[in-house]
Amino acid sequence: MSETYATGGYPAVGQEDTTVGGAIVIAMSILSAVLVIAGLAYATGTGARHKAALAAAECEPNLSPSGLQCTTVAMLASQYTAIMTLATQQLSIDGAAYTANQKDHLTAAESALAAAVAAEHALDTKLAGFPFPPAVARTAKALIQANQALAALTAEQARSSSLTQLRSFNPRVEVASAAVQREMTLVRYALAVPPTANQEP
Amino acid sequence: MAITREPHAPPKLRAARSGVDEWMDKDFKFGGSHIKRKAVALILLGAPALAPLFFMAPAFFTMNKNTFSGSVDDTLGTGAAICLFLCLLVTPMTMLTGQHWFVPLRRWFGIMMAASAFGDAIAAGLTDTFEGGFLGVVAGHVFELMGFMIVMLLIPLVITSNHWAQRKLGRYWKRLQQLTYATWILLGFHLILLEGVGFERGDNGSGFAGDGDPIFHQRFYQYGACSLFLLTLRLPLVKRWIAARQREGREWLVWVTIAPIFALFVFGMIFFINEQIFKGIDSFRETPSSE
Repeated sequence: MSETYATGGYPAVGQEDTTVGGAIVIAMSILSAVLVIAGLAYATGTGARHKAALAAAECEPNLSPSGLQCTTVAMLASQYTAIMTLATQQLSIDGAAYTANQKDHLTAAESALAAAVAAEHALDTKLAGFPFPPAVARTAKALIQANQALAALTAEQARSSSLTQLRSFNPRVEVASAAVQREMTLVRYALAVPPTANQEP
Repeated sequence: MAITREPHAPPKLRAARSGVDEWMDKDFKFGGSHIKRKAVALILLGAPALAPLFFMAPAFFTMNKNTFSGSVDDTLGTGAAICLFLCLLVTPMTMLTGQHWFVPLRRWFGIMMAASAFGDAIAAGLTDTFEGGFLGVVAGHVFELMGFMIVMLLIPLVITSNHWAQRKLGRYWKRLQQLTYATWILLGFHLILLEGVGFERGDNGSGFAGDGDPIFHQRFYQYGACSLFLLTLRLPLVKRWIAARQREGREWLVWVTIAPIFALFVFGMIFFINEQIFKGIDSFRETPSSE
């Protein structure tokens, strides 16, 4: 039978034992107090260390909710370029198909426009989910709005009932496309420039 | 040897201790039925142990391999560690407070620890990118071998965590359940090997999160902070000292002395719980964090 059970959960008492036990508790208590105070003191410098580490690695701190993940500006620009390259390639294919059919094949031209609308909506979704840092947010918003305007106009063009009506949209679509291209370039430039210290939270 | 319970304890102390237990044993009326206060308290205290499995549920139902691969260790692994510490906390708290109403939580947290650890091992084995198939993944590296051994030890612990097994095994049951201490030690080895033996070197260890705070990311340090309290209050000499002070009616001295060690325990647990909540929410949304 264990000693612990024999004394109802409490070990047998001996003055010498309790003195040593007390010394252990006090030693652990002092050690713990030192560690807690040291930990709290260390914690007060977390913000400064965070900023210094991010600045050293050219990191953008606003890309994860907890702020711990480190994504470099170069990585961000690369992700953005990948999205844009894919969208531009698809829109170029759809644009070529439209140009080839706009004079004599209404159905084929409308089909090309419908594909372009789908690509523009897909780009819209990707841009809306892209983790743009605050410094680029305004430019990115302008790009999203320009892309949405182009998608709406292209969708309207795709509903044309004649080739003449279809082609009548061309000047406006060109202006809207140019606006999207301009905003794309602005976002790319904005992402290429690392945020300054005062832009970081 | 005669079995007598607390022969030296003054009647006043015993009455104070049993008071809360008696209060918890009483019923209260709710919607026409009688419910024990203890049952409500145990459900409220035990429910958070379901959080790790709850966080992974969406990824399980959608079979989202990306989420399992990215964050199952942080969600279920951290959950298992938290449950282990809470399981180990019950005995010291019983000794300190003299209350027993929360003792059933020890088994509950133990079972939930096992559930989380099993889920972590299975998901890691199926989704991790290490070579060697399932066994190669769960036991191919030393730190993983430690985790695998924990899982193996948990199997008999879970199977025998019921009254039937307790009756059948008799005096061997307690000895078997003491394997929990082996899982506690192995968890320490698992964490220390996982993260560069407690030191960050380059990008070795979870300390490399890009925020300049490697110390706060070292889970072995958090493990140490939590374990000091749990270990100290299990030392026979310390238990004797506490019992002696309680018999003298100087419980305040025990609380004052223990307070910094308990504060360190809470300090360490905050990091585990913080990890559990943030990584768990990311897992629940099926957008696993790669931190």
